[in-house]
Amino acid sequence: MAMPSAVAGAESRLRTQIATLERRLRKRDEQRRAMLHIMGDLNESNKRLANQRKAMLHILADYEQDRRRLARQTERLDNSRRAVLHILQDSHKDKLRLEASRKAMIHIMGDLRETTAEMQRREQELRDKQEQLVQAGKLATLGELTTGVAHELNNPLNNIGLFVGNAVDLIELAATEKGQVVGELHHAMQQVSKATEIISHLRTFGRAAPVSREPISLREVIERALSLMREQLRLREIEVTVDLGPDGPVVVGNAIQLEQVFINLLTNARDAVAESPRKLIDITATIASGAVDVALADTGQGIPPGLERRIFDPFFTTKEVGKGTGLGLSITYGIIKEHGGTISVVSPPGEGATFLIHLPLAP
Amino acid sequence: MMTPLSVLIVDDDPALLQALPQALRLRMGGVTVETADSAAAALERIAAQDYDAIVTDIKMPGMDGLALLAEIRTRRPDTPTLIITGHGENELVVQTLRGGACDFIHKPIDRDYFVAALYRAIRAHVLKRRMKDRQLALAGCAEELERIVQKLEREPRAVPERAES
Repeated sequence: MAMPSAVAGAESRLRTQIATLERRLRKRDEQRRAMLHIMGDLNESNKRLANQRKAMLHILADYEQDRRRLARQTERLDNSRRAVLHILQDSHKDKLRLEASRKAMIHIMGDLRETTAEMQRREQELRDKQEQLVQAGKLATLGELTTGVAHELNNPLNNIGLFVGNAVDLIELAATEKGQVVGELHHAMQQVSKATEIISHLRTFGRAAPVSREPISLREVIERALSLMREQLRLREIEVTVDLGPDGPVVVGNAIQLEQVFINLLTNARDAVAESPRKLIDITATIASGAVDVALADTGQGIPPGLERRIFDPFFTTKEVGKGTGLGLSITYGIIKEHGGTISVVSPPGEGATFLIHLPLAP
Repeated sequence: MMTPLSVLIVDDDPALLQALPQALRLRMGGVTVETADSAAAALERIAAQDYDAIVTDIKMPGMDGLALLAEIRTRRPDTPTLIITGHGENELVVQTLRGGACDFIHKPIDRDYFVAALYRAIRAHVLKRRMKDRQLALAGCAEELERIVQKLEREPRAVPERAES
């Protein structure tokens, strides 16, 4: 039994050793496999890492791009900021300037108000002066008319004296017929009313009446102007024709002022035709689209070329010193303008002058 | 004066042609007054009749008093012409007097003055006419005398005889 025990011992030791070895081997193998796993994992990780690095590189590139873009944007922003700053500064300055302008504006407005008031005052003054001028012109016209009018008044006065004297004689002679005396006195009365008419017309014309505006018949105005001039025109053998169409035009205005216009124009025409072989003054009117055109034509010498405009200037006259005031046509011009109309003159060489008056008709 | 006096009044105012002739008829009995309303009408009448006096207005349309006066002076140089003038026409008055007007009458007409002036003019005219008649008669007498003298000269014997006796 010794021997088998030793062998059995050795065997068991061996077996134990073998088992240990096997265990170790198994362990190693496990370890190796684990190692292989790990290696595989590592490899995987490595691959992933490489991918991630590549991605990282991409991202880095992108980042770099972004960074650069950002830098550019920052720069732009900076510029904009500076610009805004400038703008803000400018705006501030503008605001200051605006404030100053506003103040100046207020001053100007004040000045303007004052100026407007002054203007209104001046305008009123001018209107007053214009009225005075019209009145002065009227008196000048009256003065020019005086000689003719004196002659015109002298005739009825003379006749009155004769008729009344005849009546006195008849009474003194104890005329049996009462009718004869009454007849003489009746004639005298007619002459008195003729003289009265002339004087009352002169008074109406000369009066400084307030300038009223009302619808007036141009026909009446022209007739009245002609009635003041009739004797002078008749004695100078000046023929006057008037054709105002079937219905006499009616305008809104002042009868006395318009009468003055026609007296002035007739006075001029009267002087213009003085030396002409044919002495004619022709007054015509045509109505067209709410207005009337009156033409006063004469057969005189006409107006020297170049003077057509100047003749309406105040104190411009082609008449001899002492013959004309040079106010007639300028006043005429003023009156027509005040009536919302126009006046002009045409004078073709070799023909007489024609004055054209354009006036709006009464609505 | 045997023949009735005739006067022509020229004026363009019909009222005056009514009043003035009536005044003349009342103031100058027996005078014949005729009227003309223009110088042309007046000339026609003057051609037909020899008036004792003509009275004319100075201002008339057409031919005025001054021109009419000149016409009268050539056609009827003896007829006295009186001119009616208005106020302030002194220049014209002088012209009419130079032109041979006999007198001028201011308007308004003073009837006494007018009648006196007209009488004076007519009397002057009549006297002038009478003087002319007498002058003519005298001239006739002178001619007659001349003829007698000539006749006597042809019979020289008779003269001393008569002178001696």
